[in-house]
Amino acid sequence: MGISAERLGRKRWIVGGLALVFLLCAWSLGLKPSGLVPPDARHWERTGEFFRAALHPALHYEDANVPDSADPIWWKGIKGLLLTLKFAFGAMSLAVPTALVLGFLGSSAWWPEPCGKGVRFALRSVYLTARLFMSLIRSVHELIWALLFLSAMGVSPLAGMVALALPFSGTLGKVFSELIDEEARDAAQALKAIGHGPVQTFLVGIFPRALPNLITYSFYRFECALRSSAVLGFVGIETIGLYIELSHEEFYYREVWTYLYLLLGLIVLVDLWGAAIRKRLQTTPGGCAG
Amino acid sequence: MPEAFQLQDVSCRFGDLRAVDRVSLTIEEGEQVALIGPSGSGKTTLLRTLNTMRQPEEGSLRVFGDEVDDYVPAELRRLRSTIASIPQQLGLVPNLTAIQNVILGQGGRRGALRSLRDLLFPSRGDVLEIHGILDRVGIEEKLYARVSRLSGGQQQRVAIARALFQHPRAILADEPVSSVDPARARDTVKLLCELSAEHGFTLCVSLHHLQLAKEFFPRLIGMRHGQIVFDGSPGDLGEEMQGALYDLSDAEMMRDA
Repeated sequence: MGISAERLGRKRWIVGGLALVFLLCAWSLGLKPSGLVPPDARHWERTGEFFRAALHPALHYEDANVPDSADPIWWKGIKGLLLTLKFAFGAMSLAVPTALVLGFLGSSAWWPEPCGKGVRFALRSVYLTARLFMSLIRSVHELIWALLFLSAMGVSPLAGMVALALPFSGTLGKVFSELIDEEARDAAQALKAIGHGPVQTFLVGIFPRALPNLITYSFYRFECALRSSAVLGFVGIETIGLYIELSHEEFYYREVWTYLYLLLGLIVLVDLWGAAIRKRLQTTPGGCAG
Repeated sequence: MPEAFQLQDVSCRFGDLRAVDRVSLTIEEGEQVALIGPSGSGKTTLLRTLNTMRQPEEGSLRVFGDEVDDYVPAELRRLRSTIASIPQQLGLVPNLTAIQNVILGQGGRRGALRSLRDLLFPSRGDVLEIHGILDRVGIEEKLYARVSRLSGGQQQRVAIARALFQHPRAILADEPVSSVDPARARDTVKLLCELSAEHGFTLCVSLHHLQLAKEFFPRLIGMRHGQIVFDGSPGDLGEEMQGALYDLSDAEMMRDA
């Protein structure tokens, strides 16, 4: 009784403390509930227009100046989705192999056991360096990487792809190394007992076992990459995000909704595909770490 | 016959506890031995000492006539590749197929790259041999089945097949029948003893099940508190000694719980 009452008391303090931090943040930022309400009639009108447009997505361009020879809007949207997919897929193709190498270096499952002090120190240095490197590349958001690369290379598709691949390598690598280190070691121990070396044990006893989880998580990150790739359009890289941004600038809200619905459709399709893969591999979805 | 394992005053300590306490023991090559005694009596630690996974704190160990105390890792690995160990939890990779698990039995001799190739593209010769082994242990139709889809008894057979594919000079098995029903347990122990007689390898099995040990093994080694309290044929094992082996003190009950 005494212990549970004490724990309850501690929980109450934690919840209370969190609420207090929230109130402090809100106060220092000058948040008011009225901030959610449009300030005047003009803004009200625009808000209404935007949400009304959701019911009537554009089937034709709202801009009368678009020549008749241009692609119909749905076809332009689908081309935009294909570009978005290409960036996401290209970035993941760079990120997954990088993350496998980083994840291996950042895990301890392949260390010889027992090992001498010098070897242990060297392994620990490699481990920490890999972890630090992964933290560094994922602590900068893909949008910021994109801005950096755009100013360095100009608007090139490679800039967009590398900007996505860098933070994704960091996140994938970190989660890979943790999935690998959490994998059960009983088979690895049994293989060591019949003469397998430490790296060999990792390759045949631990890695194959972690593989379904690695695939599931990579697939989940592919979904994240799709969304991020769309967002890269807002800094000028040609994905569906660029079309959304351009239509939005001109207040063509019905066009914006056409593109948003197409993007939503793609995300739902990819999600269904991912669910089918998870079912086959019998794994649970990974949490979003990015 | 040369001796497979020779222990001289061997002790293994976990903190203050002596899991193996000044044990001297010789097991000849080709012998079939059952380790009996209550859980916590040191059987598992003794088996892990025999396969060199546990370095004893005191005493000396000779395996196949060689002193192993100052073996370097590469020498230890070479020695281990000649001793098949079947741990209590079997140590199979559950999401690999039966053949993939069995082929890893030779991994100690073949190295990392060859093992990866074995998993992905096994050679025809290996496939044929493994099929033959699985046939011998009674699950040849499970060659390409995932281990996680197999029953407990079938998984045991995969572990035994992996040990056989290793072409070992000795097989050490830790409670190989603890997770199956009595009829299947009897079959598995019988199979291990038959295989030992066929191939001539030394067999050392720890068994909770006294009846099985008495039925199939010509030599029983009884352990309590890390010490050997009986070493002889089943006929020599009197009622009194059986009682002493399995009459648990309160302290042991607490430790097992």
